Amino acid sequence: MRIVIAEDLLLLREGLVRLLTDTGHTVVAAVDNADSLVAAVTEQRPDLSIVDVRLPPGFRDEGLRAALRLRAADPDTRVLIVSQYVERAYAAELLADGHGGVGYLLKDRVTALDDFLDAVERVAAGGTVMDPEVVRQLFTRNSRNHGIDGLTPREREVLALMAEGLSNSAICARLVLAPVSVEKHITNILAKLDLPPATTAHRRVRAVLAYLNAPL
Amino acid sequence: MTKATARALVYLVSGVVASAAGFAFSLAALVGVGLLAVTQLGGPAFLGAARVSRTLAGIERRRAGWVLGATIPAPYLPGTAGTIRQRVTAVGTQPATWRDLAWLVLLIPLGLAGGCAALVVTAVDLGAIVAPAWAWAVPNPRAPFPMKPLMTTPSGRIVLTVLGLLLVPVVAWLLRTLAVLQARLARALLAPGTHRRLVEQAAHLAATRQRVVDAQAAELRRIERDLHDGAQARIVAAGMTLALAARKLRTGGGTGGGAEADVALARRQLDEALAELRRLVRGIHPPILTDRGLHAALAALAGDSPLTVEVRADTADRYPAAIESAAYFVVAEGLANAGKHADATTCTIDISRTVDTLRIRLADNGRGGADPGGSGLDGLRRRVEALDGVLTLTSPVGGPTILDAEFPCAS
Repeated sequence: MRIVIAEDLLLLREGLVRLLTDTGHTVVAAVDNADSLVAAVTEQRPDLSIVDVRLPPGFRDEGLRAALRLRAADPDTRVLIVSQYVERAYAAELLADGHGGVGYLLKDRVTALDDFLDAVERVAAGGTVMDPEVVRQLFTRNSRNHGIDGLTPREREVLALMAEGLSNSAICARLVLAPVSVEKHITNILAKLDLPPATTAHRRVRAVLAYLNAPL
Repeated sequence: MTKATARALVYLVSGVVASAAGFAFSLAALVGVGLLAVTQLGGPAFLGAARVSRTLAGIERRRAGWVLGATIPAPYLPGTAGTIRQRVTAVGTQPATWRDLAWLVLLIPLGLAGGCAALVVTAVDLGAIVAPAWAWAVPNPRAPFPMKPLMTTPSGRIVLTVLGLLLVPVVAWLLRTLAVLQARLARALLAPGTHRRLVEQAAHLAATRQRVVDAQAAELRRIERDLHDGAQARIVAAGMTLALAARKLRTGGGTGGGAEADVALARRQLDEALAELRRLVRGIHPPILTDRGLHAALAALAGDSPLTVEVRADTADRYPAAIESAAYFVVAEGLANAGKHADATTCTIDISRTVDTLRIRLADNGRGGADPGGSGLDGLRRRVEALDGVLTLTSPVGGPTILDAEFPCAS
């Protein structure tokens, strides 16, 4: 897979390059600021860009904004945002355009190598990946509201994994359940949350996030 | 001593000229400004007169400072731009303008008297000392008793000289005293008054405190970034290396002899360190506040709160960093209290901004009874007051609790 990396800290940039190269990917460009990222993606057309939220010169959210610009110009641009912290607002902005192929992960997740590589593959394939921390924040916030209280513990587990962007089969594997029961759980969840059933993984995440981000 | 006396003499004598100038100016200014006051030219005439009086006062300050051996600072507030009327008001409301004038008027009798006295005393004493040289030229047989023998006999003239010499220290003392008294009076009127000094002191203190507060806010942001780009990044990098090592151990056929478990443990420890660092960073200065400003940070806070929180804000303005940070922590603490102690279920946050004030109001539906002296609130109050802001808490038993914070915030 051809990957562009935008990360301003040399240590992490080199680490990511090594990690991806060691696992059989090709890093076609590793840049340290948002402008170079836009240039590199436009020129290289990579399968995926891994972008830090904070980039020079302002060290605010330049990386995120550049990623959103790239996706606005070409919705098929696949972007995996990595950050030292998670902000629900950023997750919502990433998901807002309704296309798959985005992810938002804490930088620490990189150390769970297999999960990280799995996330890379899923985003590149057009899926959606949300950090469990984002999902946890959303659940804490709304634990008192809406229909979540009406879910069984198992259904909640399934919903959390849906929100992280896992497919049905991945959920089956993670929870050691039969595909049929996962599907049943999901149908129940969508019914209880009053959401129309949806088929693709990233549309489910959108549904979950849209629901969780709805004004109180 | 001789130098000081000479200075005193020059000061007193030049005072005559100065008093004449003062007299001429006061009269001209009175008549000129008085007559022009009814016309359009009143304002400019006043400003012109003020400029001349400042120049004269400046000369007086130098003269008096020369005698007192210390420079007298000018008391004027910096000039303001604007219309003639505004400038007239600005100059006219300064006490210094009228103190200058008072001195110039007072100088007319003082300067004249002091100068004449100095001239007469000095001339008489000098005359007595050099009496042998000239007293023979003005024989006056009808002079009254003490003068006749003194002026007409050679021995008398010598006595006169001796008397004159004996009087020199007295004359010198007199001159110096006169000069110093006059100069001190000049200083009392021409140097900056208590009012002006207090105004300056207050401005100075406000400016230095502002710098301290700004520096502190910048420092907090720096610490937040350092933790991000330094400590956290290093831990992540170490984690990556460990992850690769673990992978190699795994693919190498499991000959690591338990190393795999150690690597996994090390990685878990790193993850915990990272989570702890993130918590720490949020407590110091939330990253979203740096990235997106107060409104976004408050929206995030509202989202994290178990309460139903409504944020009402009309702008996406950025405020000075110190204010954003203080306002954020006021809301954070207020929300935490509302949830923890007041059993509230909903909370409204209002942010409004007038020309020079940022106002934040937190109102919950809890049972009230909050202690305004509690450590959390006290800390907040100090933080708000350091920015010249005001924190007010109304929390009657039974509720609701309303927390108000106001910050001066010039745009």
